[in-house]
Amino acid sequence: MNGKRKSGWVALTIVLIFLGGWEAAVRIFDVPVYILPSPSRTFETLAANPQMYLQASALTLGESLAGLLIGVLTGGLLAVLLTLLPGLEGGVMTLAILMKSTPLVAIAPLLTIWLGFGVVPKIVITALMTFFPVLVNVLSGLQHVEPALTDLFHSWNASRWEVFRHLRLPTALPFLFAALKISAPLALIGAVVAEWTGASGGLGRTMWLAYTNLNLPYLFAAIFILAAGGMTLFRLLGWLERKVVFWLPDSRES
Amino acid sequence: MNIQVEALTHIFANSRVQRTALAEINFGVKSGQFVALIGPSGCGKSTLLRLAGDLLHPTRGTITLDGRKPPEMRAAHEIAWMAQSPALLPWLDARQNVALAQRFMPVNRHPRLTVDQVLERVGLSDAAGAFPFTLSGGMQQRLALARLLALEASLWLMDEPFAALDEISRERLTTELLDLWQPFHPTVLWVTHNIYEALRLADRILVFSPSPGRIVGDLAIDLPRPRSEANPRFQQILAALRTALGSTANAQVAQ
Repeated sequence: MNGKRKSGWVALTIVLIFLGGWEAAVRIFDVPVYILPSPSRTFETLAANPQMYLQASALTLGESLAGLLIGVLTGGLLAVLLTLLPGLEGGVMTLAILMKSTPLVAIAPLLTIWLGFGVVPKIVITALMTFFPVLVNVLSGLQHVEPALTDLFHSWNASRWEVFRHLRLPTALPFLFAALKISAPLALIGAVVAEWTGASGGLGRTMWLAYTNLNLPYLFAAIFILAAGGMTLFRLLGWLERKVVFWLPDSRES
Repeated sequence: MNIQVEALTHIFANSRVQRTALAEINFGVKSGQFVALIGPSGCGKSTLLRLAGDLLHPTRGTITLDGRKPPEMRAAHEIAWMAQSPALLPWLDARQNVALAQRFMPVNRHPRLTVDQVLERVGLSDAAGAFPFTLSGGMQQRLALARLLALEASLWLMDEPFAALDEISRERLTTELLDLWQPFHPTVLWVTHNIYEALRLADRILVFSPSPGRIVGDLAIDLPRPRSEANPRFQQILAALRTALGSTANAQVAQ
């Protein structure tokens, strides 16, 4: 059994032990379902409403991925721009940090007021959340080029664009994946937070309805989906990373 | 390529400290000469190399390469650079690494050797499709050597290229380097800490004293290659080199 396989089994065992302990605690102490539903009860709820959860998940996932795509594109392109025009870095970064420091929980309702209950404010929030890690990571990736390689390209009389294309861009790829692995789970959270503050559908809406009705199995079922979704996105990106950034040692994954 | 260095001074400075790396250096190198630059750490030999390769601009003085300035020669792709780190691009395989170097050459300059021929010369034909992370340190440096060769430049600037290798790889690469150098016969400036390496390779050894860097010895090695340590003349030059290096040590102590 190789190391990766083994660590997968270890992770699964830990999750099962956690769920088992949770189930046992709820049964032994007879915890009321409006305080904490058991995992089995949560899975039952999930299984009883497949259509509803599937639709809500699809909507939330769609918003997350759309927002993530926009966040990655704007963050990545801005990082490229700042690398090519380093004079702008100070100003743009200050603005980006100001934006990052503004609590999204405060902006989300505003966006709902301005942009309505549809998908647009969710995508905007998600893009805002994922934009910053991508900008910071890709920027540092584009800048952290080995001096020995810079010397070499200089000795070849390579233009600034050629250095960018053949050296900086590939150097930044591992940084982009690091950012994506941070941003993808964040994207789900962003979409859910935005939905929570006012939406006509999605997992956040499901959670909010369940919460206001104290229907905790419904709420937990949505949480389970989110946890599994975030994990799956993270793993998928890890797999993609190993394919694309194949020259890096395996040990640094996940 | 002829090299003429006149009153070359280089000072590294920031707002608080300044350090004179090279002080009033003068020397000339004839085209095709293999020159080793030797001396203790901090004697400015790497700085000299960077100045010649237009990776640094001198504080004062001039370097002239065949009557032209280093930036012009660099732009004309007449200077090839190699350092201690192989500086390979990890996302490119061996063949692509060499091809990338040739890609920047002017279109009107047709390389005499193809990428595969260059790889064959350094003994990497079988590894042409291999990525650098699968190669040993010695093979990585061999690939860097292939890339240097592919540029077909008339000046090779080599900053301790084999210093990070084990002794066995180092010996072998040193011998192979001579075989690669001889047919093209570019001018070579070779920075080293290794006395025997300098004696085996170079036509001439310039001995540097540290802080500030000055040339304190200039030895010609008039021996045919391959050179044997058993040759009495080899031992004679070795003794002279040791004396010159000893004087730099004294200079260091005296400060």
